[in-house]
Amino acid sequence: MHPGARDPVEEFEELRRLLLSREREQLRDLSDRVADKERRSRDIASVLPEAVKLSRERGEQLTNALRPAVEDSFKESVDQRPQLFVDALHPIIGPLVRKSVSETLRRLLQSFNQTLEHTFSWRGLKWRWEALRTGRSFAEVVMLRSLVYRVEQLFLIHRETSLSLLHVTANPALSKDSDMVAGMLSAIQDFARDSFATGEDSVLEEFRVGELQVWIVPGRHAYLAAVIRGNPSLELRPALQETIETVHVLKGSALAEFEGDASAFESLRHELESCLRAQYATTKEGGRSTRAWIAILLIAAMAAAGLTLALRNNAKWESFLRRLRAQPGLVVTEARKGWFGRSEVRGLRDASAPDPAAIARQANLNPERIRFHWNDYLALDPASVRRRIEQRFGVPDQARIGIKDGALEIGGSVPYEWLDRVRREATLIPGVTSVVEKDANIIYDPDLARQRFEKQFGLLDTVTAVVENGVLTLTGEASHRWLTRARAAATALPGITKLDDHAVIDLDQRAFDQSKSIIESAFIYFLTDKDDIATEGFAALSRLPDEIRRCEKAAKQIGLDVTLEIHGYADAIGTEARNADLRQRRANKVRDFLVSCGFEPARLKPIGMEQPFKAAPGDKALPEQSQRRVALKVVTKPSTPAP
Amino acid sequence: MIQKKICLIGPSGVGKTSLIAKFVHSMFSDKYLTTVGVKIDKKTVSVDGAEVMLMIWDLEGDDDYQRLQMSYLRGTSGYLLVADGTRQITLDQAIEIQGRVAAAVGAVPFLLALNKSDLASQWEIDQSRMDDLTARGWQPFKTSAKEGAGVEEAFVELGRRMIQPH
Repeated sequence: MHPGARDPVEEFEELRRLLLSREREQLRDLSDRVADKERRSRDIASVLPEAVKLSRERGEQLTNALRPAVEDSFKESVDQRPQLFVDALHPIIGPLVRKSVSETLRRLLQSFNQTLEHTFSWRGLKWRWEALRTGRSFAEVVMLRSLVYRVEQLFLIHRETSLSLLHVTANPALSKDSDMVAGMLSAIQDFARDSFATGEDSVLEEFRVGELQVWIVPGRHAYLAAVIRGNPSLELRPALQETIETVHVLKGSALAEFEGDASAFESLRHELESCLRAQYATTKEGGRSTRAWIAILLIAAMAAAGLTLALRNNAKWESFLRRLRAQPGLVVTEARKGWFGRSEVRGLRDASAPDPAAIARQANLNPERIRFHWNDYLALDPASVRRRIEQRFGVPDQARIGIKDGALEIGGSVPYEWLDRVRREATLIPGVTSVVEKDANIIYDPDLARQRFEKQFGLLDTVTAVVENGVLTLTGEASHRWLTRARAAATALPGITKLDDHAVIDLDQRAFDQSKSIIESAFIYFLTDKDDIATEGFAALSRLPDEIRRCEKAAKQIGLDVTLEIHGYADAIGTEARNADLRQRRANKVRDFLVSCGFEPARLKPIGMEQPFKAAPGDKALPEQSQRRVALKVVTKPSTPAP
Repeated sequence: MIQKKICLIGPSGVGKTSLIAKFVHSMFSDKYLTTVGVKIDKKTVSVDGAEVMLMIWDLEGDDDYQRLQMSYLRGTSGYLLVADGTRQITLDQAIEIQGRVAAAVGAVPFLLALNKSDLASQWEIDQSRMDDLTARGWQPFKTSAKEGAGVEEAFVELGRRMIQPH
């Protein structure tokens, strides 16, 4: 081998080193880069944003690849550190919620105000009439009449192609053919611009058709066309301007590169819909709230009046029911108040109970408006029993009555006749088993007492009866029999405590007395020293039998048995013995005569009188001849009652 | 759905309006043509399975409104150029108009429709003229407003040209 010669492998290696040293250096560097994790990360970090951007432009692959990881990490983060999200979302959600709530409240209040206004105002009535007349709904009329303006449709139109990018409308029925309308709107703009030779950037800002006007709000690539009913307020245009600017901010590049696919602009719907605003006429605040207040007060007043009336009515009804229930003899089993129709009351009613209709009237209710259904029953409570007694007998002013355990207690001053009837009939009343007089002061009516006396004894024409302070005074004439009965029984009559009969003549006694007097004053004269009756003696004797019979009869009337003592007298001339015999014979003579006349011998007692006849004590002595006589003496003894 | 603005252009009296009348959805009356100078109709065609909504700007054909027409052309994705096959002169006018349109809107797809193909006996466009047009790459469609022949195909073809990358 050549000494200077090198190993060909080495030489080749040398050559390679000389030729490729730079590349090798780079290769090593690259290999280091790949191996060194930190360097690799740095490299990727520097290209990552650009790579993501590129990847997104190519399609949704990156989004799809990242989605699960992002979603998972998001979920995990929310689970583990919720506070972080609360803190992050709070500044956004707070105002959102507040705005939403206040907006809802505002609308509620506005709608309430409008309802009130439309309900109670003259204009509201007019609108109702209009709705009735035109067949439109009231809401529609209100909307049309009170509308200041309403943005009904909004077109987002691409300037270059005049194509409709998005169309929103308050009324979905209007959305058809929006693309043609959008085109025509552009055409009209072009027409106006061309016809009047204005500059390229000039815009037909608005035009008016009947109740509608169309506002055009231009942007760089697209413009908004708002179809507005009514007269929009000035603040609407800046709002629309802001919207078209927002559209350009959000979709600027899409607008610039628009090739006919409008779906990319669908996401702007919310922005556009927020421009579909409406403003309704507000009348003078004061007036409306005054009307509303008047309406509210009116309703409140009516409600209060109705309530008061109902309460008063109910109170009356309750009071009526209380009265009804408090009535002994009435048992209310069911009561139903008819607020508009007739009320009804059912229950039991004792015959003695008061008229429920009268109770209704006392409670200021019209009984005509109450239908009563009563079933009969017998109430045994003291009040009902008492009422029954009152109805049957009445109760005198001074009398006191009470019911206790079925006993009718009577006190106070009571007329005898009333008490008498009560005594007899009270126990016939249901609920009364006995009558008890407690410290009852019985009052007797004199006239009635007298009538009772007359009824009992049969008052004779010849007798007058007067009752005074319980004393029955009789005057006139009466038979002994009648008088005896009256004497015996008059004081047994109620109201008569004493009988005064000194002024009444006992006719039978008088007849007896008269007969007795006639008989005893009859002188039967005899002839001297004989038992022969002198002439004048016969005259007297002949009258005797009738008189004696009268006397006997009268005596019988007054309850006496009569015996006749026949007193024989003689003058002092002659001997005593003779005279004694004479006296006896003379007496016997008269007796015999009377026996012959039919008188019972047992009742004739002839006595020869030893003493001279004396007309009356103290009388001067009679002439001697007048001693030759027979005198009669009526002797009585109470008759023995017949066996 | 993809929307495309197209214009219907041609000299007056070539039957543009009646040509499409049966094929489009219309909401504006023909009066617009004489007042505003344009009437917009709508037609949806199916191009190779994709639905395309064509907003058809039917432009008034009076020459006095040339300037006006130009602004209506703005933003159009294509146009249907209509001439009357029974009047040779309208084809010349149409070619002239196309020149101006192309100047205004650039090289957007368009289609030449030779209308009134039903009047074969009065047809004035001879085969050499047709060849000439084909050589220009215009590929004229024969259409008939009366019989409806060729119209649908013309729209579909125009739609296809607009959608396909040029």
